[in-house]
Amino acid sequence: MVEVLRDKEFLVKEYLETRGLYSHHINSFNAFIDSDLKKIIQQNHAVRSDADPNFYLHFKNVTVGHPQVDDGFNVTRNVTPQECRLRDLTYCAPIYVDIEYVKSGMKYLRKGFIIGRLPIMLRSNRCCLYQKSDAELAKMKECIYDSGGYFIVKGTEKVILMQEQPAKNKILVEKDSNGVPTVQVMSSTVDKKSKTNIIFKKNLIYVCHNALEENIPFVIFMKALGVCSDQLILQMVGTEFAIMNQMYPCFLEGSKLNIYTQKQALRFIGDRIKKMGFSSEDYDSRVITEVHDFLSTVILAHIPVTNTNYHMKAIYTSIMVRRLIFSLSNPDLFDSKDYYGNKCLDLPGSFLSLLFDDTFKRFTFELKSVADKNIPKVKATPFDIIKYIRTDTITNALVFAIQTGNWSIKRFRMERHGVTQVLTRLSYLSAIGMMTRVNSQFEKSRKVSGPRSLQPSQFGMLCPSDTPEGEACGLIKNISLLAHVTTESEDDDAVLQLALNLGVEPVGLYSVDDLHEDYMYLIIFNGNIIGSTNKCIDFVDKFRRCRRKGIFSKFISIYISERHKCIYINSGDGRLCRPYLVVENGQPLLTNAHIDDLKRGYCTFQDFIDQSLIEFIDVDEENNCLIAYNEEKIVPETTHMEMAPFSILGICASVIPFPHHNQSPRNTYQCAMGKQAIGTIALNYQHRIDTLQYNLWYTHIPMVHSKAVPMINYDKLPAGQNATIAVMSYSGYDIEDAIILNKASVDRGFGRGGTFRNSKCFLRHYPNQMMDSIQGPIIDNATKKPIYKHRALENDGIAAIGQPVFDKQVTINKATPKTITVEDVGGDRGFKETPLYYKGYDPSYVDKVMITSNSDCFLIKENFRQPRRPEIGDKFSSRHGQKGVVGLIVDQEDMPFNEVGICPDLIMNPHGFPSRMTVGKLIELLAGKAGVLEGKFQDGSAFGGATVTDISNELQKHNYNYLGKDVLYCGIDGRPMEAYIYSGPVFYQRLKHMVADKIHARSRGPRVLLTRQPTEGRSKDGGLRMGEMERDCLIAYGASMLIIERLMLSSDVVEMDVCKLCGLFSYSGWCHMCQKSNSVCRIKMPYACKLLFQELQAMSIVPKISLKKYCD
Amino acid sequence: MITEAETPDDAPKKALIYIFCGACQAENEMKPKDPIRCRECGYRIMYKKRTKRLVVFNAR
Repeated sequence: MVEVLRDKEFLVKEYLETRGLYSHHINSFNAFIDSDLKKIIQQNHAVRSDADPNFYLHFKNVTVGHPQVDDGFNVTRNVTPQECRLRDLTYCAPIYVDIEYVKSGMKYLRKGFIIGRLPIMLRSNRCCLYQKSDAELAKMKECIYDSGGYFIVKGTEKVILMQEQPAKNKILVEKDSNGVPTVQVMSSTVDKKSKTNIIFKKNLIYVCHNALEENIPFVIFMKALGVCSDQLILQMVGTEFAIMNQMYPCFLEGSKLNIYTQKQALRFIGDRIKKMGFSSEDYDSRVITEVHDFLSTVILAHIPVTNTNYHMKAIYTSIMVRRLIFSLSNPDLFDSKDYYGNKCLDLPGSFLSLLFDDTFKRFTFELKSVADKNIPKVKATPFDIIKYIRTDTITNALVFAIQTGNWSIKRFRMERHGVTQVLTRLSYLSAIGMMTRVNSQFEKSRKVSGPRSLQPSQFGMLCPSDTPEGEACGLIKNISLLAHVTTESEDDDAVLQLALNLGVEPVGLYSVDDLHEDYMYLIIFNGNIIGSTNKCIDFVDKFRRCRRKGIFSKFISIYISERHKCIYINSGDGRLCRPYLVVENGQPLLTNAHIDDLKRGYCTFQDFIDQSLIEFIDVDEENNCLIAYNEEKIVPETTHMEMAPFSILGICASVIPFPHHNQSPRNTYQCAMGKQAIGTIALNYQHRIDTLQYNLWYTHIPMVHSKAVPMINYDKLPAGQNATIAVMSYSGYDIEDAIILNKASVDRGFGRGGTFRNSKCFLRHYPNQMMDSIQGPIIDNATKKPIYKHRALENDGIAAIGQPVFDKQVTINKATPKTITVEDVGGDRGFKETPLYYKGYDPSYVDKVMITSNSDCFLIKENFRQPRRPEIGDKFSSRHGQKGVVGLIVDQEDMPFNEVGICPDLIMNPHGFPSRMTVGKLIELLAGKAGVLEGKFQDGSAFGGATVTDISNELQKHNYNYLGKDVLYCGIDGRPMEAYIYSGPVFYQRLKHMVADKIHARSRGPRVLLTRQPTEGRSKDGGLRMGEMERDCLIAYGASMLIIERLMLSSDVVEMDVCKLCGLFSYSGWCHMCQKSNSVCRIKMPYACKLLFQELQAMSIVPKISLKKYCD
Repeated sequence: MITEAETPDDAPKKALIYIFCGACQAENEMKPKDPIRCRECGYRIMYKKRTKRLVVFNAR
């Protein structure tokens, strides 16, 4: 019998605490700064000039400093993220390099030269928040529960989302869009990306590549690679009967084309490579070198070639063909693109290194062209390259890319939009939910189910619930609580050496025929064949032991693929993996003693990983593991055990109590709604000045929460309140999911919240020495009081703090000089008013006014607070995808009550349950009620938590009904109700959709200048559109006068003079065409119609109006 | 008690802005074109002080 581990969830807690929930973003950024940045600069370290062979500039030893701000006059100061947010600065740190360069024939060395500024990710190892205590964070006005992992660019918080990509350097056999069987390899190295296909078409096998004008027969390709003998080619692919059958026509074709030698084959390919216009003289030799270049660096670029020895490439292609032929007869062998092992996640670090590589290359190229241009010129001062180094090339490129999200890298022809997004600070959950989001590159419009549906290999890695509905459904995913995204390992050489030491033999040692023997396994390391072994199980076993010993990184995975007869070793970045308890001999290596030690703080989670009690397994390696769900399920073959089952869910889904009792789409709905629930967004919400911030004032910790809730700190920054609900119908104002609120509860603070909105203004300096100014309020002479517009202003021209401001009142009375250009110096010194208005139906209070200076101007930010009490039409939801609007707010005396006087805060209609099947909500109510009586929080964890029997017994213990039903008395007539009412506390969220933000009506109002029709949209006080469908209804009904009224009289009616003889517009009662006035009639028509006629006339088309009396 | 009626009389041409520092809470007076900088600690984010006017909230 296996010992049952107690409190396994403590492991999850410890793991999330030590590693942090969002470490993948931060780790990848750290990896970028610590290694990628150095590599990039090393690769492009030299700038030379064509003009002077002795000239050079070397970059060496790059370091990144700490975030700084330039306060003018070259004074720099360390800066905190909060200061950047408030002052609209970029949180960035200087990149220092040591440069060695030549000036007038002498060598100079400059240390710590700044070449640009790099936006710094919050909580990365360059950030000033790195490893700071809670007290220190609080001092910096930073929320201790904030995730970090984003950038601050010009005051806005930007996240580089994780992007899902097809894995690189993998052989994938599949059918293309025309049903042609294809093997595809996406090769990717540091400086080359290419896609190679081998297709099976009309019984023949071809090699295709973008650089080739037409497909090359496989046999000829092999001959070009130096495998000239047909027998050798066949042996490389394999001598099985099925293969020989398929290969036969290919050989025939080869001989038909009369190509037998390597040189012939090279020329054949050379004729088919795109874009080669050589002169005829040395055509032959140049083509041959070109093809050699193509074969070694372009096609299958990830396989290194030394001295035109293509042996490895030949083997690799023959393996590809072998797989292709086998899958023809056995469709099971086709690979799936959607299998998650065939995907990788691009993290911010890799995006930044792509971008930095590109900008740094441009930076060095600019320096080179400057040198080329200036060295030949003879000048008084010697050429000094230092003076031409511009720091803003790099800074601006990085800042621009992160700010706009447009990643355009010319070298890879990459043009991507929307890579970054603004961090949504609607609620704490929405902010941290964003850090786990995975975006996939698929087109949203395509109607394919494959990439959207859940793949079994995503189990435990991606949240099965958290995905949006609608067009992005299944394309945007979220990683699970325990999932970890790997970063590039530094141990590749060690792994390679170890593999050789463990008995991997280079493929060159075998005859090619032997490679396909049954006992032979190829070893593929990051897509490259490094050798083969005949002791496959033994090798993998030893390799894993070495990994557990810590000889190389824990995140390097190895797995045997029986289908491919290959052993794959992967150390690349962007693989998803997750920790499991290691089980050996039917016993988990981790014991209760270990967990107790962890609880007492004698050891950390990292120790367990170091001791290999817990191991990271990636998607591929999971195929070789037998993972037990719990101790009971362990069998002798078991290799691993799940740490905690609830960890398959993501952040948003972990908040749902009893999700395993709900219908699956309900959990998905809640994942979307949890992000809209207003609450406390962060501990520093009072210091933030956001464009829009929602707040709920009296938030509660949910009565029923899951084990994951404290881990994601949802109990410290909750978004909702425990409402006592009664599931019953009341008054008829509760149909269609509407809810009834208790007015007294609302008065006591249920659902009470507020919004903060900001407005900002800059006071600029102008070239003519003028500056924007702020002017005091205008005083009305009669009353000696400020005019209505300026009533909120104090003498300094800025609104008074604490003052309510109403619609169209000025909050900053700014004035701009009438003249601003240099030519106008000494010109008009007057000002024109450019005030900031407050706009809104309801007044707001001025909460705070911040005054600061940006790099070149003053910045004033105002924050307006607006209290929001629940009203009819506001949206609420429980945590089970059960949303509803307030239908009625009832006085407490009319609400039902029980014998002790408990009165529900909220009445929910029972019709919400049968079709939704949210049993989790029923259990939440029951558990909540027991929790209240017992005085403790209840556990509603997924696949665990309290059971209904236990809860019911607890209720019974407190003399409550076993099933959670109560006798309620009618609030209107006081009689007991005829049914028992299911009532108890349920956690309710107030969603951000509020009537106050949407209410809109208009009788008269602004019109569009061009068409004279009413404007569109609430923000422009627009009209309500009577569209085509509404018009259709009126036509069908026959209400023609109403159509005229709606479409013309209430919109853009205009009176026009029309001549009944010529049918053209006349003006002022005189027809210029007919030179008459008695033929002119005055008619009403839509202005848009008149406009159309005139536009047509302008295009020399004459529309004519024929007039008729409608009584005729 | 200061009411709105008193304000117009003492409306000087260059009004001072009464602000306090975001870091050390020190009170500063600022003229419209002064650089924004706390005189005590050099911090550059300043906040305007709450008004002395009577502000009546309607509790609902």
